[in-house]
Amino acid sequence: MLGLHGELDLLGAPLLQEAIEKAEREGETSAILVLDLQDLQFVDSAGLRVILAAHERSRQNGQELALTPGTEQVQRLFTIAGVSGHLRIIGSPDELFV
Amino acid sequence: MPEPPNGKQTNIDGRSADELAAGVLIDAGAVLASSLELSTTMGQVARLTVPRLADLCVIDMRDEDGSIRDVAVACEQGQLGRELEEMRAAYPLDPDGEHPVARVLRSGQPVLLAEMNSALLSSFAQGSKHAEFMIDHGYRSAVVAPLLARERTLGALSVLRLGSGPPYDEDDLQLVCELARRAALAIDNARLYSEMRSVERRLEAILVNLAEAITVVDEQGRTVFANQAAAELLHVSSPEELMSAQPGSVMPRFIVLDERGRELDLEQMPGRQLFAGQTPGPLLVRNIVRATGEERWIIVRSSPIADPESGRVLYAVNVFENITEVKRVQLAESFMAEASRVLASSLDYGETLQQIARLAVPQIADWCAVELVNEKNEIERVAVHHPDPTKLELAERLNRDYRPSLDEPAGVPEVIRTGEARIYTDIPADALAEYARDNQHFELLSAIGATAVIIVPMIGATGAIGAITLVSAESMRRLSPADLTLAERLGRRAGTAVENARLYTERSRIAQTLQRALLPESLPEIPEMEVQARYCAAGELNEVGGDFYDVFDYMDDRWMLVIGDVCGKGPRAAGVTALARHTLRAAAMSGQSPSEMLQTLHRALRRQPPGADLCTVCLIAAQHDGARTHLDIALAGHPPPLLIDSEGRARLIGRSGTLLGVLDPVEIVETKAELADGETLLLYTDGVTDVGRPNDQLGEAGLIELCRQAPRLDLDSLLEHIEHVALEHARLGLRDDLALLALRAPAPQQEPPRR
Repeated sequence: MLGLHGELDLLGAPLLQEAIEKAEREGETSAILVLDLQDLQFVDSAGLRVILAAHERSRQNGQELALTPGTEQVQRLFTIAGVSGHLRIIGSPDELFV
Repeated sequence: MPEPPNGKQTNIDGRSADELAAGVLIDAGAVLASSLELSTTMGQVARLTVPRLADLCVIDMRDEDGSIRDVAVACEQGQLGRELEEMRAAYPLDPDGEHPVARVLRSGQPVLLAEMNSALLSSFAQGSKHAEFMIDHGYRSAVVAPLLARERTLGALSVLRLGSGPPYDEDDLQLVCELARRAALAIDNARLYSEMRSVERRLEAILVNLAEAITVVDEQGRTVFANQAAAELLHVSSPEELMSAQPGSVMPRFIVLDERGRELDLEQMPGRQLFAGQTPGPLLVRNIVRATGEERWIIVRSSPIADPESGRVLYAVNVFENITEVKRVQLAESFMAEASRVLASSLDYGETLQQIARLAVPQIADWCAVELVNEKNEIERVAVHHPDPTKLELAERLNRDYRPSLDEPAGVPEVIRTGEARIYTDIPADALAEYARDNQHFELLSAIGATAVIIVPMIGATGAIGAITLVSAESMRRLSPADLTLAERLGRRAGTAVENARLYTERSRIAQTLQRALLPESLPEIPEMEVQARYCAAGELNEVGGDFYDVFDYMDDRWMLVIGDVCGKGPRAAGVTALARHTLRAAAMSGQSPSEMLQTLHRALRRQPPGADLCTVCLIAAQHDGARTHLDIALAGHPPPLLIDSEGRARLIGRSGTLLGVLDPVEIVETKAELADGETLLLYTDGVTDVGRPNDQLGEAGLIELCRQAPRLDLDSLLEHIEHVALEHARLGLRDDLALLALRAPAPQQEPPRR
């Protein structure tokens, strides 16, 4: 599980990319990668791209990607971008263990 | 001469007594003058008195701690002498006691004990054993005289007669006192001399070997002391030469300047200031040897030696610390730091290089010039500096009439061709004459008066792009290897800076050209409608942006408004932008609806090499008929546009759709709206609503608020207002491009305003 804080934009995107790749490498046996966006204050299209790339990769690897909701702005972006239907949004990480 | 009565050694006859006295004193004189070694001398003095004057002679000295110590004992009977020494060792004399030696030491007055009986001896003995000793050996008569020098009692000279010899009298007292006085003087001198020698030796050891140069100078300017380091500093062969030189004869060998390079009045030197009654602090001077041009940085500190009584300054002790190396490094570093700052401060390298030239003079050289190779492969002077404007004119004429060409063998052309620095430390007239093209040229060059020249290349990525010339002239400062190193560093730094500036300017020219090619050069005129657009690129001048917009007609009376965002910047984003615009145009031409157009673009993007080229687009097809404009709106991942009524109330229109190029399937929903007369349609990119994030974000709400101004402003002013506010919100500069595209239907019964 990866927790994101602050702003995810053009500058921060590569960092997230790296972190996700690292998590993917290390979590080979795990079936699901969770991005915890609770503390994420901002996302723009560059950040979105990283998330979507991760989504694509996990789909190809047979893994799942899930996200917890971010702030209002983050949710709004997901709505405008029309990705809400494609991404799995969970209420909290606990949901996974039900 | 009558026979002396039995037992008496001194003759009652005055003449004999005088002869004896004279004899003793003469011998004493000889002894005292012969050696300065204290104990030897005292021993000899004591022996002089025995047996002529005494049976036993003891010289006691007062030590620093006040105790009394015997330094010489003379006696005919060696045994007695040794016993006395033992006795002194075992029972040292009490300085506060009644022993005559102690009394004499305290009072400084002589004592004559003509007849001593047992009672008297016991009264001042240091214990019973001592009393016994004196009584047993027949201590009979004694004289104790103080050894006085400079009003201090250094010790006591005691003469003793034992047994039944004649007692001492007043004449004997006088003689012994005189002897004691002379001995005391000799002791004092010996001590003084010894101390002085010891101090002298220490001082010499220190001064001679000190790295710092030291001179001691009197008021007339005569050097009374100098050490080796001083001789070397002042370029004389030895300290002695310095000390024997006439005052004022040595300094003219040097040019003495203050820190900033201005000539220094020698009366300002701390040593001279001391004699003027000042208390000067340390002074940093630049000292240039006229003969060689060598420059040294020296800190001079001076302290006075004053007369203890009058306070008048007798001598100035000058200490010279040579900090040339340290200073050089320091100056070089601060120069490079300042030069780097200047070069980085602006892309206008003509200006920055002129500043560099000003910086280098006079710190490094008397002249500095910078030349670059221009596009025509000619050498062009871009900067030159010298403090004297008339000299600058000289340089001007040289540049105008005798500009070097790149193929010349020597000087700047050579340095540029080879990329290697050149240093000329000696420029004889005939070499100059050979170099000069004609008499006039020679005149001009001679007038510069160069004594040394350094030319360094300005190195860019591909080699030398120019050269920096440093000339030493009036100051006669020799240009050293350290100067060459510094100049080479400067050359490299400046070369890089100029090249970067050129590349940057070139790149931004390209980027701007490209940018213009990617956005419509001008917006078409839509009959009876007004269209305006704004674009602000974020980031560096030379980064092509990711936002795009377009307006085109694709059918009779139908117009397409497009706004989109390819996330990212740079060449790749530019490529996607171009693809998007052209794909959409082609799709529109072939009759597709907005939602179909977006699907087409999506497929086109998916066919691109992988790399998640995502793109958001807002498409609006507008058809104007009479009083209203019909709008078909399709959104793909893009912020919804605003419809602003004639009162300034704005609402979001359209339905969100999936962004293009990444996810499958893409869902696009077309919606309809109508623009009535006087109403405005505003398309924008997220660069507008995202400004000020995260704390002060403009957001959709903020934008809607701004739209309230719409009825009052013409379209151009409205967009300017929005742009202005956005830039204000983005306090630290735009982080994302922003684009605005607006369509306004004319207010009823009004001519559409002219653009």
